[in-house]
Amino acid sequence: MKKFFQNIRPLLLLLLLNAIGMLLMYIKGVDTLEDMAILCSAMCLLSIAMYAIITLFSLGDSYLFIIISMLSTVGIIMQSRINQDDGMRQMKLYLVGVAFFFIALFVYKCFHKHFEKFTFFYWGLSMALFAFTAVFGTVRNGAKNWIDLPGLPSIQPSEFIRILFVLSLAAIFTRARSRKKGKYIPYLERKKIKSTRLMFAAGIAFSNALCLFLQREWGIALLFFAIYIAFLYIYGENKLFFAANMVLVIFAAFIGVKFMSHIQVRISAWLDPFNDVDGKGYQIVRSLFAIGEGGFAGTGIGAGSPYLIPVVNSDFIFSAICEEMGVLGGVAILMLYFLLVYRGFKISLSSTNEFNKAVAMGLSVMLGIQTFIIVGGVTKLIPLTGITLPFISFGGSSMITTFIVMGMLQAISSIKGEVTDEIE
Amino acid sequence: MQAFFSKILTYIFVFIIYIFIYVIIRMIFSDIQMMYRKKTGGLAEAYLKLINLRRDLDFPVDESYEIEDNEVIGRGKNCSIVVPDRFLSLKHSRIFKNSGKFYLEDLGSTNGTYLNGTALGDTAVELLDGDKIRIGRVTFLFVLPGGASKGKSK
Repeated sequence: MKKFFQNIRPLLLLLLLNAIGMLLMYIKGVDTLEDMAILCSAMCLLSIAMYAIITLFSLGDSYLFIIISMLSTVGIIMQSRINQDDGMRQMKLYLVGVAFFFIALFVYKCFHKHFEKFTFFYWGLSMALFAFTAVFGTVRNGAKNWIDLPGLPSIQPSEFIRILFVLSLAAIFTRARSRKKGKYIPYLERKKIKSTRLMFAAGIAFSNALCLFLQREWGIALLFFAIYIAFLYIYGENKLFFAANMVLVIFAAFIGVKFMSHIQVRISAWLDPFNDVDGKGYQIVRSLFAIGEGGFAGTGIGAGSPYLIPVVNSDFIFSAICEEMGVLGGVAILMLYFLLVYRGFKISLSSTNEFNKAVAMGLSVMLGIQTFIIVGGVTKLIPLTGITLPFISFGGSSMITTFIVMGMLQAISSIKGEVTDEIE
Repeated sequence: MQAFFSKILTYIFVFIIYIFIYVIIRMIFSDIQMMYRKKTGGLAEAYLKLINLRRDLDFPVDESYEIEDNEVIGRGKNCSIVVPDRFLSLKHSRIFKNSGKFYLEDLGSTNGTYLNGTALGDTAVELLDGDKIRIGRVTFLFVLPGGASKGKSK
């Protein structure tokens, strides 16, 4: 109990922030304020309960969940401000997401020893999901990447495939190492073992990326490549293979730019959005105007006009945040992500199990790169690719996936605790 | 008017996010500092070593604590060496360095500070290598490598 009260200050700040958010909604005038207040209090209670459970039962890192709650609160307030129904749905998604966080935490904590055995099962499952989407999927925004099942909410399988991808790469790269632990292997032989493993890894990465290209999910394809390169950089040990992969990726990107009209449109919109303001450059120009309108301190939540930005509730939410909370608010959000990724790497570094280390590293890289891709995209630092901003963007699949990812990180941090206790 | 209020509230909103970040960073920083304190030992000129077996004590205490210029031992959170034993006062005793020598003094504690079995009075006493300091239920060995020891002075 003492542990809980010792570190209660961030929790109090979180509650205060929720209260101010509700006050802002009241000032703006929302029809369904009562429902919203009830949901908001449920959220606050759930945050307190989760934080208490994590600290009292020593379930690992105590910062992770509180940072997630903070980001979700900001997301919910922005969503409610743009569209009150979306805000309510986002609140419910938070409640569902926390349930998934808990499930992921316990499943991974109990069965983490078995997760490294299913390397090709993960790959097969992701391929099956891609095939399923290709056959039964529905087309939205020019990409066939949604599954609408009767009686179920529509889901985006590519979001869940990200976790499978990290798991399969982690299994491939670490099993080759841990199996030979404690034995001296001659250098030539070791290289031979490694290179077959590396070939498998490359096969998994490129087959996933190819499917994503066929689905026209550029953002997630880019994310996959970034994770793959990070794994190679850390575990590859073979510089020639790394260089060959880089050349291959650059070649693929070159082919894409040369022959795919979709990518050409993105690139030209990135290089000079003002050349075609009403057409290709419309989204990015609107986003830049919004960020410029906000200035340093922002127009105030409820006083800006984020409706003018297209797809503002998912891809361009960061522009809306910059407009209404200013650059100051935008930087605050980025710092929260920075802290989250920092905790992820910290968990990875202090984990004692090779596989868990690799999984934590992959998931943290995924989170960091995802944030970079979308924030860089809407601020015209890199070409824009559609991907969600974790915890803030509107979207059920993305929200639940990120909660599962966080649950796994939490589980890995708590597993570390068990092992060190045994040693002492 | 509405725009004005929402603007003010937004400022407060962003400000609270920054305070939150500050609080979290400070908590993480103190975590790292504690880990660093646990790991090192031997870097400082002098340190305290725990004589009790840790499994006999029902509260967390480290195996060793580094002594720098001025360390306050006690149950309170502000002490530089926190020992959460309920027989300790909030600020129990102090070890400080004066012209190259280490001294131990009692800070008016309820249960007293014992140096090699004798209770400390009002004045500070010089610490030598190998001295045993007992506070509450905990006994520390004062280690000052290369310093004057009991054996040498006798």
